[in-house]
Amino acid sequence: MAQKEATVYVLDLGRSMGEKRHGRDKTNLEWAMQYVWDKITTTVATGRKTALMGVVGYRTDETDLLGVIEDDEGYDNICVFSEVKQFLLQDVRDLQQRLKPCKSESGDLFSAIAVAIQMIKSATEGKTGPLKFERRIIVISDGYGQFDTDDLDQFAAQITHEKSKIDITVLGVDFDDPENGYKEEDKDSAKAENEEMIRKFVEDDCGGIFGTLAEAVEQLEIPRLKETRAVPSFKGLLTLGDPEKYDSTMTIDVERYPCTMIAKPPTASSFVMRTDLASQAGPSIEPMDVDSTGEQLSAVRNQRVYQVDDPDATGHKINVEPDDLERGYEYGRTAVHISESDANIVKLETTPGLDIIGFLPAEKFERYLAMSRTNFVLPQKANRQAQLALSSFIHALYEADCYAVARLVVKELKAPVIVLLVPRIELDFEALIDVELPFEEDMRRYKFPTLDKKLTVSGKVITQHRDLPNADLMEAMSSYVDSMDLSTFEVDEDGAPTEYMKFEDTFSPLLHRINQVIRWRATNNDLASKLPDPPRILTKYSAPPPDLLAKTEDELTALKSAADVKKVPPKQKGRGKRRREDREKPLSGLDIDELLGNPKRVKIDPQKLVPSFKQALSASDDLEVLQEAVNDMGGCIKELITGSVGESAYGRALEAIRVMRDEVTELEEPDMYNGFIRDLKQDLLDGKLGGDRREMWWSIRGSRYGLIDRKRSFASAVTEEEAAEFYKG
Amino acid sequence: MADPSRDNRSGEEEDDDEEEIDDSSYKTIKDAVLFAIDVSHTMLERPPASTDKKADRDSATTAALKCAYQLMQQRIISNPKDMMGILLFGTEKTDLGDGDTTFQSCYLLSDLDVPAAQDVKRLRDLLENEDEAAEILKPADTPASIATVLFCANQIFTTKAPNFSSRRLFLVTDNDYPAKTKQDKDTAVTRARDLYDLGCTIDLFPISRPDHGFDRSRFYDDLVYPSSPSDPDAPVMPSTTSKVAKTGDGITLLKQLLSSINSKATPRRALFSLPLELGPGLRIGVKGFILIKRQEHVKSCYVWVGGEKVQIVTGSTTHMADDTARVVEKGELRKAYKFGGDTVQFTPEEFLQIRQCFGDPVIRIIGFKPLDMLPLWANMNKATFIYPSEADYIGSTRVFSALQQKLLKSRKMGLAWFIARRNAAPVIIAILPGEERFDDAGEQTMPPGLWLIPLPFADDIRKPPEMGETLKTTDDLTDKMRIIVEQLQLPGGKYDPSRYPNPDLQWFYRILQAMALEEEVPDTPDDKTIPKYRQIDKRCAGYLAEYGECFEETFSTMVLHGAAKGKLSHLSSRSKSASAVPATGKRPASARPKHVKVKREATSDKERYAMTDQQMAEMNDRGQISKLKVQDLKEWLFPRGLSTAGKKADLIDRVQQYLERKMG
Repeated sequence: MAQKEATVYVLDLGRSMGEKRHGRDKTNLEWAMQYVWDKITTTVATGRKTALMGVVGYRTDETDLLGVIEDDEGYDNICVFSEVKQFLLQDVRDLQQRLKPCKSESGDLFSAIAVAIQMIKSATEGKTGPLKFERRIIVISDGYGQFDTDDLDQFAAQITHEKSKIDITVLGVDFDDPENGYKEEDKDSAKAENEEMIRKFVEDDCGGIFGTLAEAVEQLEIPRLKETRAVPSFKGLLTLGDPEKYDSTMTIDVERYPCTMIAKPPTASSFVMRTDLASQAGPSIEPMDVDSTGEQLSAVRNQRVYQVDDPDATGHKINVEPDDLERGYEYGRTAVHISESDANIVKLETTPGLDIIGFLPAEKFERYLAMSRTNFVLPQKANRQAQLALSSFIHALYEADCYAVARLVVKELKAPVIVLLVPRIELDFEALIDVELPFEEDMRRYKFPTLDKKLTVSGKVITQHRDLPNADLMEAMSSYVDSMDLSTFEVDEDGAPTEYMKFEDTFSPLLHRINQVIRWRATNNDLASKLPDPPRILTKYSAPPPDLLAKTEDELTALKSAADVKKVPPKQKGRGKRRREDREKPLSGLDIDELLGNPKRVKIDPQKLVPSFKQALSASDDLEVLQEAVNDMGGCIKELITGSVGESAYGRALEAIRVMRDEVTELEEPDMYNGFIRDLKQDLLDGKLGGDRREMWWSIRGSRYGLIDRKRSFASAVTEEEAAEFYKG
Repeated sequence: MADPSRDNRSGEEEDDDEEEIDDSSYKTIKDAVLFAIDVSHTMLERPPASTDKKADRDSATTAALKCAYQLMQQRIISNPKDMMGILLFGTEKTDLGDGDTTFQSCYLLSDLDVPAAQDVKRLRDLLENEDEAAEILKPADTPASIATVLFCANQIFTTKAPNFSSRRLFLVTDNDYPAKTKQDKDTAVTRARDLYDLGCTIDLFPISRPDHGFDRSRFYDDLVYPSSPSDPDAPVMPSTTSKVAKTGDGITLLKQLLSSINSKATPRRALFSLPLELGPGLRIGVKGFILIKRQEHVKSCYVWVGGEKVQIVTGSTTHMADDTARVVEKGELRKAYKFGGDTVQFTPEEFLQIRQCFGDPVIRIIGFKPLDMLPLWANMNKATFIYPSEADYIGSTRVFSALQQKLLKSRKMGLAWFIARRNAAPVIIAILPGEERFDDAGEQTMPPGLWLIPLPFADDIRKPPEMGETLKTTDDLTDKMRIIVEQLQLPGGKYDPSRYPNPDLQWFYRILQAMALEEEVPDTPDDKTIPKYRQIDKRCAGYLAEYGECFEETFSTMVLHGAAKGKLSHLSSRSKSASAVPATGKRPASARPKHVKVKREATSDKERYAMTDQQMAEMNDRGQISKLKVQDLKEWLFPRGLSTAGKKADLIDRVQQYLERKMG
């Protein structure tokens, strides 16, 4: 659980904030709000009830303290826009309407800070005094205005008060920043004076941060990492040998924590438009508020219906009651019922533990066998013996350059997994890393031809072949790979070469992309506005670094010419097979059509529907012949359906339809198929094919075997809308 | 491909907004395998009796049936939705089920279907019961025509597995010219072509006899096609001829057959087909395959017990609006993100834009690094295998080969930006060269190619929990442990997955099979993952004892030195019970092995992991006591007879008071 926090934003809304300065295309306030909204929406996105926020504006036209301070004398032109609370989307949208640059010149920054202090104080105080909270005040100011410095000591005392310390940050618009070498030209002397006053108060008196807005906005681009508290997935013994049976064994108390874990982007949930707007009453559990588009959404519930086969019932299926259902498993197509009391019978009896099976030299381990995310294995907390023992184990592995293989059971009755244990020794910590290894059943034993030589059918080895690289290509590849080295491409702070694209420099593109647009949409609820592009940092590693490419141009050119790769034009792909001489031949290369005397016409044979149809299409280019084949095929399909007992022949019919659709698309004669399928639909729905055949139509529809539209074949006259319409009814 | 068992009524749209690369689609390709096993006099001939244990005992037909039996059981585990059937040909009996005698000398032992428990039993009975076998496995006077077998297979596939995208005929025979006349052969050739046009593959498992090598070119090269219709680009490797072993050959026919059949157990299908970009303007085509994937057992399902027979239930889901309980069509569903107690919405077009702003699917190489820059801790998931394909780029294979060889030679890896398919999340991967490996018999065990290993982003890397100051090993102690590490090397110094069947999976299906056949449930699992304790003891007992002594010594010196307050030398309550172990073990204390911690006592987990007085004192001295959780404090207080009531501060007070009293 993260620490409770309370943050108050103190915003300068004075007239000067509405100006555009130094060639920026945004007003100062818009620029500042980029930062503020990002902060606020990031907090809202966490959904935490314990992350509280408030907003105070100064140099506002009006004065409204919402009763934070009883006597508002001396607090003129200060507005509390939101008290300290958990923000919801609605609060964000409300605030957006209200935070506008004012006409006001007057309004005191320090008084606004005083209000903020008071707001935090009352929100974070329990009956017995200050509660445990992270307290923060973030101030945005452009440094203009008249400041009242009377009570600064008192404010500083409150901010630095031990039990209720507040972290204060001031972000200035165009404040001087000696560290980054920024100095505002022609700075107004009053502003310069104010800047110094604020700096002194924040840095010297309060120990806070005094920075510039420019820097803060720039840093928004760097994705923030979410820290997750480490939760052990296993606590138990690392054992070598069986301590129950043998004397000499080793057991070490260890704990296992995640080392890598995919950070998943938020997932979207399903909703449906509300249709009951007229009658708002009803058993809606949590009615959704009006959302961004003004439409209302309602949550979606899933309901499951269970059926079993029953040859006597109409449709051959009957619905069954959930009460008559029990747990079981499928063994092939046999149902095995396992009663509640027997539930554990299929479970392997196991006891928790991490038992070493053996060791292997690191170099002999095939790196691609590691098949899971990784974990730390650490000594039990505060157990000195375990610390020493595990340390010796880690170092022994490291020095012997070996890994351990162990059997891990994390909890009683959980399935064992085999893990690889790898030593990891860093400057400030050491640990074992575990990663799961495959069992026999996890390996698929596909075979692939050798890459560095060719075998002829007779078993002769060939070393020169178009599929094998020649010496030129090998040489060019070698130079290119070597020239594109990243291990020393980056330059570190001291100017020394270092690794480019370290793990810690790469950020999950989709995760931060989705978070970015969610935050963006929260403050840009106009559906007409265009989504922002992803921040550059997310796409930085989507291509080789340009400087490196520039340096390796020659090597790449050499490789390209040695490789001589040709792209296959899209037209040729998959086409042309209808031409007889291009048809696939058996291993021997025998021309089967010739064997059959190259018939000009092949009759559709219901016994072998699909093969004879394909053969018929390849036999001729004559459109009439083709049409006849399609007609015959269509006739056979209808016969299949008509003769079908129940749904028995639907599968075959469906397959024949698919083949017809695919082949005809390839022939670029979509109308032949479209005519057939229109006709078939009509017959099915009219019950002309041996009774109620609606199920068959639903199957066609479900398989999307409808009209061939323009998208699928350019020769089609059917629009996508027409094709979609066809599925209805 | 259509799947008639699914509820198609709602007119499902293609689901475009899928999140991760999900392997399930990879699995949904349904596969039907029909074994066609030759039953002839030569196939039935048994090898000469031999005293050699490793020698063949099976006739070729029996070996093939055993393979089929094993494959059937294996497929129930690995491909529970897939079909399998067994057709014997050349038999005296003719029966295609229900007395159908259309196809002369064809005997359908097991119809093409998802296997039922009874099919497994029937096959087993045939293998175990000689009388039954003798009756069925009786060759006809005239051998079956291969054309008839192929036509028969055609009919079976057409009617039983019409919509399966992968349909394969596994043909096991030792006859390399099953034709009398040219006419016979021509008919067979056309039948084979029909099968090919139907979308079926013939996988030939030829058997050579000691006196007669199988020659494919005589007949079968005219029947077998170089590519499979379900995966036109997947490279096809003709299976090697299995030889009937001579006595003492070591590798039996059964083993050879099993090995070639296993490599075809699941149809190979590419997970993706993508361009691999080596540099701007240089792309080649590759296909991705999953060669490693955790095999899970089937999930439990609902069965209907309301009828006479237990039946599997099929469920279907309907969506309903939560407020009105109105049934909602899939097309009406809208996706939105929950945000601040409300929803943030995007149009479907925007949803596409959000994901597709990273560009088209590609494997784009960013550069190269030495292999040792890929630490094992940086693993995220299983690796994907890639192999070149000429379908989109001519010349891909040679460039791929050059890259693979270069990476192997220089021990380097590529780093790449990888989008597996449209809408998939981009990831950074390491591209590792995979070396081709063979077993003793020269069969490929690992294919040559490249492996894609997904790497963690900064977001995926977790910090280890704070450990504070910990004790560190000494050189002496490390050396003592190192000897043990070196003594206990795995066979061949490598991890070989084939030595470790998944004990949980095997057990699950053994039980399930027994229950399905209503047989007795076995009670001892065969678990190959349990360490070989006896060997460990034999090889290492002495070294472990030495290590144990060294450990005790090192530890006590360290603790004495580090314990300024002189309290830490106290044996904790648990260390005391540890020293009690050897006493009951009747062995001299000097030979006492090292037990870093106690052996498992008959205590509950909670007590076992609770901290000792000493550990708590140390925490307290280091000022870390407040970092303990309330639960930890309570677990510590309770067994000491102290109250566990009150707030955390109260608990800490109580702990400290206790420590003061106890430790003085």
